[in-house]
Amino acid sequence: MFFVRVNMTDRTYSVTDVPEKYKHLAGRGLTSNVIADEVPALCHALGPNNKLVFSPGYTTGTSAPTSSRVSVGGKSPLTGGIKEANAGTSWAADLGVLNIKALIVEGFPEEKGKFWGIAVTWDGKPKVEFFEATQYAGKPLAEVHPAMYEKFGEKISVCSIGMAAEHGYSNSGVAFNDQYKRPTRYAGRGGLGAVMATKGLKFIVLNRAGAPGVEIVDKALFEEGRKKMIDALRTHAITKPKGGLNSYGTAILVNILNEAGGLPTRNFSSGRFEGAPKISGETIFEKNKERKGKEVYNHNCSPGCIIQCSNTVYDEKGEEITSCLEYESAWALGADCGIDNLEDVAKMNALCNDYGLDTIETGVAIAVAMEGGLIPFGDSKAAIELVHEMGKGTPKGRILGAGAATTGRAFGVRRVPVVKGQAMPAYEPRAVKGIGITYATTTMGADHTAGYTIAPEILGVMGKQDPLSPEGKAGLSRAFQATTAFIDSSGHCLFIAFAILDIATGYQGMIDEVNGVTGNKWSADDILKLGGDILKVERKFNEAAGIGKEADRMPEFMMKEPLPPHNVTFDISDETLDSVFGEL
Amino acid sequence: MTEIHIDTWLYGNLAVYGGDPNEHNFANANVPLPEGSVLQDLLNSLGMKTEERGITFINGDLSAMPGMQPDLDHALKDGDRVAFFHLRSMWPFQYRHGVAMIDEMQSAIDNSEDMGLRHAYKLPDDD
Repeated sequence: MFFVRVNMTDRTYSVTDVPEKYKHLAGRGLTSNVIADEVPALCHALGPNNKLVFSPGYTTGTSAPTSSRVSVGGKSPLTGGIKEANAGTSWAADLGVLNIKALIVEGFPEEKGKFWGIAVTWDGKPKVEFFEATQYAGKPLAEVHPAMYEKFGEKISVCSIGMAAEHGYSNSGVAFNDQYKRPTRYAGRGGLGAVMATKGLKFIVLNRAGAPGVEIVDKALFEEGRKKMIDALRTHAITKPKGGLNSYGTAILVNILNEAGGLPTRNFSSGRFEGAPKISGETIFEKNKERKGKEVYNHNCSPGCIIQCSNTVYDEKGEEITSCLEYESAWALGADCGIDNLEDVAKMNALCNDYGLDTIETGVAIAVAMEGGLIPFGDSKAAIELVHEMGKGTPKGRILGAGAATTGRAFGVRRVPVVKGQAMPAYEPRAVKGIGITYATTTMGADHTAGYTIAPEILGVMGKQDPLSPEGKAGLSRAFQATTAFIDSSGHCLFIAFAILDIATGYQGMIDEVNGVTGNKWSADDILKLGGDILKVERKFNEAAGIGKEADRMPEFMMKEPLPPHNVTFDISDETLDSVFGEL
Repeated sequence: MTEIHIDTWLYGNLAVYGGDPNEHNFANANVPLPEGSVLQDLLNSLGMKTEERGITFINGDLSAMPGMQPDLDHALKDGDRVAFFHLRSMWPFQYRHGVAMIDEMQSAIDNSEDMGLRHAYKLPDDD
């Protein structure tokens, strides 16, 4: 495997062996360690000293199921802390097949307003060529992605940034192609798109032709693990074919959270939205059936995924509006803005993909602006116009593009649902207190993917602790975050966690796969430790950046304002929050 | 005998129990029951077997999960909102950890061997 460094100051590159220190790392573990080692914590995220690191997981590029994830790391312009965002895409698999353990983008072009692309091919080792891409700037991504396929052939994969990144927004993601060449798979959160834009880098095109593929040290063990993982995913009700995710996508959670009183509505002023059923996974499924004349099951976002949870929303004529509309996007652009028009929510989702915006940050920022009186709650047409303004870079659009926290300041809004500057996702922490602890304490800013569950008997950390006691909740959050940091390094999609919590052999399957690829003999305990080590590195970086444990807090309004319908506040004590990582 | 009315929400394929056999998305039915009725009586009135439902809420409090249904004898009162979800629905543990539950559900979770840290309490055969 290789380290490929691309220097955008003078458009040169180097290919070296993987330094000894990083050999046991991959994915999030690798991106976070490189950032912590090479990026000054106090640098400006959009300045010359920040870097952007891409790394495939241990199993990415192999035949392990649901393993085509790539981690993108850097210092976040949104939170000011360390950031890892990841995406499922064939680009991830290609990076692994090209034997690139880390692609590090550094330097800073002197000439402003110009953009470049790089094309990576295999020539005995990874080879990088630069091409001018300024002509593709200022246009929606769906318009410019096809040009890459015309230029470099059909068998490529494409990473890109949109207009939001070109404008320098803290809300701007890094886009990757899906299985249908659409630029719709995002490492969306934390503004890493803008970091890539400051480097003058618009595209990273990968062509795997002739590349050797990922070396697997112990093939028998890998195959054993792979089989266990496939069995678990194909058996579990949530992940199996025509199961929950394959039928309804993640938007299956809309009605559930709504009934639980945990669906943040109209800028987190209520936990229940009367229009929720209209933007739910069940409604998408039924409308698609009517509009396409048959049941439409979901598709895979990346090669080798057997869960296949990506939905498509069709209009009345049966034409595609967007793919995919995730739960968090349907919620942010729907319930949080008081909007129940599915087609308009889907349209906004498509615009976010086109402009390179994170859907969660976009929806929450618009909802905050609605509370500030910019447009009324529920006005979907006006909300669509605001997303256009973000794309165009008008002054109003720029305020929203800076994220929910900045939008709150611009409009004098007190109810601003962010942690460490990042907008809170679709699970109301006053109603779902467990996730609130993770929102508050993760290194990433409010993040719903930071604490996925693993089988408690494997975690071993719980003992007979009551998971509902403050100590139990803190212990669980710590263990969840550590194991999640490892899954984010494994190359697997987090959704494998649904199956491996209930089917213990699936968890062993993941470990076997990773050990098979790397030749390590890691145990379940080792994995918890490896995940914990990643969190330590990330927390150390954040502390050096001025984001210490004092920032592990929820916004004040959540402690004061009771949330209907349960009329509850967030009542987890500061001591409990501090204890999550006090014992790491 | 005094009647009570239950604000009943039926999701996915359970929507057919709301009265329209062609409805597979959601239905909202106002179900009259005799005073003193329990959840099982509501199921009987709808004509729905308890095995057909998964995640269930009574006034936003979790009352059942697939494979764990401690709510059958739960007394209902006038105006209660009861929501039934189909078996392909899901609610991963990390997104429901710390939510409100009816007492019977809380007790069932507390007494379960793994303290409730599961995504599903059995793997429903829903095909």
